[in-house]
Amino acid sequence: MAAAFDYRQAEEIRDAFARHGVRYLFLGKSGAILLGFPDTTQDADLFAEKSPDNGRRIVAALQELGFNLSAAHAEEIVRGKDFVQLKNGPFDLDLIFAPDGIENFQQAWRRHVEVEGFPVCHLDDIIASKLATNRAKDRESLPRLEAFREYWLQHRR
Amino acid sequence: MAAIPPEQRAEWEAEFEAAARRPLRTRMRYAFIRTYKPVLDDAPYRSFDTTAEYREWCEKNLPSWLGYGRGV
Repeated sequence: MAAAFDYRQAEEIRDAFARHGVRYLFLGKSGAILLGFPDTTQDADLFAEKSPDNGRRIVAALQELGFNLSAAHAEEIVRGKDFVQLKNGPFDLDLIFAPDGIENFQQAWRRHVEVEGFPVCHLDDIIASKLATNRAKDRESLPRLEAFREYWLQHRR
Repeated sequence: MAAIPPEQRAEWEAEFEAAARRPLRTRMRYAFIRTYKPVLDDAPYRSFDTTAEYREWCEKNLPSWLGYGRGV
């Protein structure tokens, strides 16, 4: 089992993805945490633009980070599966190419927020995605996340 | 949003304030934890053609207490 995700690993993603020109955003609770939401989660969710070119960039960045991708896995990422779950590297990562509740990457990118160089979905998109997904664990955390949204909108600089 | 009791809201806001005073590096150290999740953690790689297929797989294969089920 991989170790818990930490700041250094987030930096490694940020830097490797930047080197390879990957178009992506932190999404889900990991994104909310980057925006300041105090809660716990287990892994990082990345919303990546779905295109063969971006897929090739993702594969190159992931291999550089130490993910063990077979040729078949790499081909799937380039082809753009909607959801890829990676537990074969230094930390766990979910690559989401078509998240529930968000129309497309370009729209999310226009609204996105940068935190210490980390590209993060706007909290409205994170909440929209959780509302659309409607899992028990999301329903449980949504009232507090929506309260955080109000706080964040009032206090963000 | 459902009505949140004022005392609950005040408690959350105190938590948001406390978090805002911490650097991101510290917040992340508190936020990311690692525990074994049965089934979910048992394969090194999974992919799904659609997000709907992934959600369906979670509902069919994961223990309900993990919270990945939808509905209600």
